[in-house]
Amino acid sequence: MKNRLKVLRAERNWSQQALAEELGVSRQSVNAIETGRYDPSLPLAFQIADVFGLTIEDIFIHEKD
Amino acid sequence: MSTARLPLHRRPGFWAGGLFAAFAVISALRISDAIDSTTGFILMVVAMLQIIPLTRASLAKQRSTGHLSAAVARYTRRFLFATFGYVLGLGIAVTIANRVELSQGESFLIALLPVIPVLGMIWTMARYLIEEEDEFLRHRAIMASLFGLGAVLTLGTFWGFLETFEVVPHVWAWWVFPVWAMGMGLGQCWMGLADRRASDPSGDEA
Repeated sequence: MKNRLKVLRAERNWSQQALAEELGVSRQSVNAIETGRYDPSLPLAFQIADVFGLTIEDIFIHEKD
Repeated sequence: MSTARLPLHRRPGFWAGGLFAAFAVISALRISDAIDSTTGFILMVVAMLQIIPLTRASLAKQRSTGHLSAAVARYTRRFLFATFGYVLGLGIAVTIANRVELSQGESFLIALLPVIPVLGMIWTMARYLIEEEDEFLRHRAIMASLFGLGAVLTLGTFWGFLETFEVVPHVWAWWVFPVWAMGMGLGQCWMGLADRRASDPSGDEA
């Protein structure tokens, strides 16, 4: 699943490590989600959305969209 | 942090290489009858001490690459204890079996000496999957253990039929665990390489 994580992170000038610490996950997890190699679970997707103050749909792009 | 920039004593590969080299030398000395089984066992235990710096270097590397979680650290410590238990148990079992005439019941109890630490290793792996809170790391560990399972089933079935048709010699059944663990390690390496190929090195700076 595609996502806007890298762009959103860059807009806020956050490193992968800073975002990982905010989410309580490893930096590798952030990297894997960002590069589309791993789709997060629904609870983690909600957590990511909360950190950015957005909805899940604002961050993760459904392939059909 | 790149491994290439680390001093030699902080690289996991250095200690892993030292461990395998020590095992190879001790095995060669034992096979050539240059040392007896007791000396070989003592040397193996001493060589095993390299697992401590190997573990420390591995934890430091995992921390630097973002793979270290509290569950990984606990898993590593537990596995270290189980490995020491395995070497001690195996050494004691082989030494007793070589020197004492054992009844079937006694042989059964002696066989448990290396088996109990191996059960400890399997329990450690199961606990890791339960305790790991990072879902991506948990997903990777599950994929790696499935990779190991695939290796055991493929090699075991293939070897079994080759054995049936007398193409290859008999192999002890306890090899299933080392083969599974090696398969799991290969799976982790393969996924690690895929990670490195796909990872965005600018991610940390952005």
